[in-house]
Amino acid sequence: MDFRKKREDELNEEIDFDLAIEAEENVRAGLPRKEAMERSRKEFGNVLRIKEVTREMWWGWTSMDRLSQDIRYALRQLARSPGFALVAIATLALGIGSATAMFGVVRAVLLSPLPFAEPDRLVRITETNPLKGWTSSPAAPANFADWRKENTVFTDLAYFMPSEMFLTAGSDSANRSGNAEPQRIIGYEVSGTFFDVLGVKPALGRAFREEESYAGNHRVAMLSHGLWKDRFGGDPNILGKTISLDERNYQVVGVLPPNFRFDDRRAQIFRPAGLRQSFFVEHRRPHYLSVFARLRPGVTEAQAVDQMNAIAARLEQLYPLTNTKMGVRIDGMHHYLSKGDRLPLLLLMGAVGMLFLIVCSNIANLQLGRGSTRAREFGIRLALGAGRARLAGQLLTESLVLSLIGGGLGLALAAAAQNLILRYAPEALPAFAETRMDGWILGFGLVVTLLAPALFGITPAFSAVRESTLQDRSGNQQAGAKRGLRAVLVACEVALSVVLVAGSALLIESLIRLEAVDPGFDPQRAVVFNVVLPRVRYPKDADARQGVERIEASLKSIPGAQSVGAVLMPPLRGAGWTADVTPEGRPDGDYERELRFNCASPGFLEAASIRLLRGRNFNEFDKADTDPVFLVNETLEKVYFRGQSAVGKRIKLGRPYDEAKWALVVGVVADTKQDGMDARVRPMAYYPFSQQPSRSMWLVVRGAGIGDSMIRQAVASVDPGVAINDFEPMDRLIADSTQKHRFRASLLGGFAGIALFLATLGIYGVLAYWVSQRATEIGVRLALGAPLPRLFRMVVSEGMRPVLAGALVGLLGAAAAAKAFQTLLFGVAAINPLSYLLTAGIMVAVALAACALPALRAIRVDPLISLRGQ
Amino acid sequence: MGKPAPDDKVELLQGTLDMLILRTLLWGPQHGHGVGQALKQGSDDLLKIERGSLYPALHRLEEQGLIASEWKASELNRRAKYYKLTAAGKKRLHAEQSKWNTLVKTIGRIMKPA
Repeated sequence: MDFRKKREDELNEEIDFDLAIEAEENVRAGLPRKEAMERSRKEFGNVLRIKEVTREMWWGWTSMDRLSQDIRYALRQLARSPGFALVAIATLALGIGSATAMFGVVRAVLLSPLPFAEPDRLVRITETNPLKGWTSSPAAPANFADWRKENTVFTDLAYFMPSEMFLTAGSDSANRSGNAEPQRIIGYEVSGTFFDVLGVKPALGRAFREEESYAGNHRVAMLSHGLWKDRFGGDPNILGKTISLDERNYQVVGVLPPNFRFDDRRAQIFRPAGLRQSFFVEHRRPHYLSVFARLRPGVTEAQAVDQMNAIAARLEQLYPLTNTKMGVRIDGMHHYLSKGDRLPLLLLMGAVGMLFLIVCSNIANLQLGRGSTRAREFGIRLALGAGRARLAGQLLTESLVLSLIGGGLGLALAAAAQNLILRYAPEALPAFAETRMDGWILGFGLVVTLLAPALFGITPAFSAVRESTLQDRSGNQQAGAKRGLRAVLVACEVALSVVLVAGSALLIESLIRLEAVDPGFDPQRAVVFNVVLPRVRYPKDADARQGVERIEASLKSIPGAQSVGAVLMPPLRGAGWTADVTPEGRPDGDYERELRFNCASPGFLEAASIRLLRGRNFNEFDKADTDPVFLVNETLEKVYFRGQSAVGKRIKLGRPYDEAKWALVVGVVADTKQDGMDARVRPMAYYPFSQQPSRSMWLVVRGAGIGDSMIRQAVASVDPGVAINDFEPMDRLIADSTQKHRFRASLLGGFAGIALFLATLGIYGVLAYWVSQRATEIGVRLALGAPLPRLFRMVVSEGMRPVLAGALVGLLGAAAAAKAFQTLLFGVAAINPLSYLLTAGIMVAVALAACALPALRAIRVDPLISLRGQ
Repeated sequence: MGKPAPDDKVELLQGTLDMLILRTLLWGPQHGHGVGQALKQGSDDLLKIERGSLYPALHRLEEQGLIASEWKASELNRRAKYYKLTAAGKKRLHAEQSKWNTLVKTIGRIMKPA
């Protein structure tokens, strides 16, 4: 500004000099000094005006000058009505912040390329089979091998299997980290080609080699960057060191880059699957390899599909026993990794878009209201010679200033929201999605910030200026037109709010229904955790059985513990493993294709509160050397035995011609949910822990107030070296499985709440303005003795008209939206009277409340005062 | 010096003021008042130019880089802002001059004394 002042001073000096020298000449010509000065001035012209015109010649001066003047004026105006400014800025911050945050998520999940080399060429390959109801199944090893051998469309194929493993890093590191061992780790078992196909280079060391895929060469491992840092202290000499996984030695060959994440973001160790090479020739079942591949440059997905279909058809002919109807499906890798996130994200993005529109129309509404109170100000300024365009420009500047402040706050909100999502709901996003503020997101925020004033500022600006020029003090026409505009805005707000409220009502109802689903066990007052007995100290099956039994006994002695049991795979933790199974007495060749195997101790049913429907539980007479027995779930009984009781029937693992022992079904238990509260229960069979013990078991302890430390103590009293992993109250099993639903419902519910609040504000504002405009009329009516209830009704019905119109449109919109997002609902129809009535009810109730205040004010109008006001 | 009647004064043609200012500065640096005086004398006081209106023009020409300015000591023991032609200004003056000549010639041909 120094430069500006200097320039200004110089102009003054220059003109002063001109005036002085002319005056001097006039004096010399004989005029008295005073007259000489006057003549000089007169002949010079209008000094002020000339200065102004000259300033306009200065490049970039006037527009900047004008802008800064407008901004200062805008800030002054906003400071003058802090209430309006606060509401506008706060709502803008919310609107812009939520839109930007959501865009960040959408970008990370749907728009960003996967963090792998040339990710567009990565495809996932799965098997399909209408006979088994498979639409997208993992592949059998021999099929994988044939695909790999015969195709010419992929540079290479790779596979992976999610896996949990138990890490014993050695005693010194255990002491250092204070962890009991072995520690349960989520990881992947992969092919040697895995990282090469993905195109990921390790941060340290090397990736796996092809030959390391197979048993014999597979004792190598790669660590996640996080595990390397936390568990191994970032040891720079980690390469070549030996770690113990599942009590076998693995050599660390590489450390992954810090930002590398695959399907499961918790994965910390990758190791080769180490399958026997013969599997890749002989095994066309079972199917457990998750396969992906990299397309050769220039090969399209369609070409790949054609060739893979041809290969699958050939395999079908060669191996009818296993490959009948076995097809191949190819999907983009991005599609696979982003899973079901596309639709919910689009839903939420739509919701924030609506919220943003509501925010804008709400501010437009407020501004229209303010415009009329400012009409006098504008009138005066127009009379003083201000240009109309300038006035409108000034109002727009005010809008822009509002939006910039709100947008700045909004961006801060968005940044905070992204951190919150990452911290509290990481599973709400696919693993590869990295949400952080970057140029794109800031740019989006800026665009929205600039778009906002265009939406909410232009109409009010022109309306205000037009109104002030007409200066129609008595006229109602102008006010009427504006009231119409405001009513339309209110109707829009209401319509959009209704869509959001109805949507969140449907999602919340879905969530409630989902959580009310009977999971088949009692999640209250029980805890669940995993223990692994190290093979070193429990080498034989009998040792493992005794170890778990001793731990069960020790847990039972915890004060308050009512029952204790052990299970291989707790409910809602997905599939352990699945297999073909043959029920006894089927006609030749007929068998069942999907059985889930589980394993339980006799105490498990009581500890988890799973009902025994028929037959008996396991007991102490089921021993390693007695006949094999099974407990089966209700679904298995229904599917395999078609209405007959399963108790007393026999089943065997595998197909009719497979060698396996027949096992007797001794009892039928209630279904427990396996893959999620909304997923169909699959046939499941439990074998007794005593007949086939496992070193990794989940223990369930039922009883009120049982805490982490009591459990640790009880387990340590048996064996202090046994680690307790994933300790949690049993109801977390349900919460984890409904997390995505809850995340969606609470976000949309939050948006709907804000929308309702804003709509209420709008309704209130319009009606309050209407009442203030009609104060005289109301006063007259009161004076003439109009009954109060009737006046009250008159005001309320004025306020409710746009609400009802908006609500109607909103319900229609909500129905259309609900249809489009139907698959996100659970147990509730997209179009159902209850949700919609509820929504309409909420909207109307809130709107009535918003109308009540102005209406009360109207009937409290003192006729004398309102008449005197004229 | 007989003062011409107001009616005899000539309105300046649009856009010619700049050319006249440049031309005036061809004789050397001059301050605003000096430029005005030069125009007045050069035109025998026949041109209708408000002294003040020179200033916006001078500032515009300066912004365009056709003239440059410098504060120098002057009459009345005061400093004054002197303008001088820049190279670009000289070039522009030549261009304007030839354009002007053509214009005068062309218009003169049409407006032959009756």
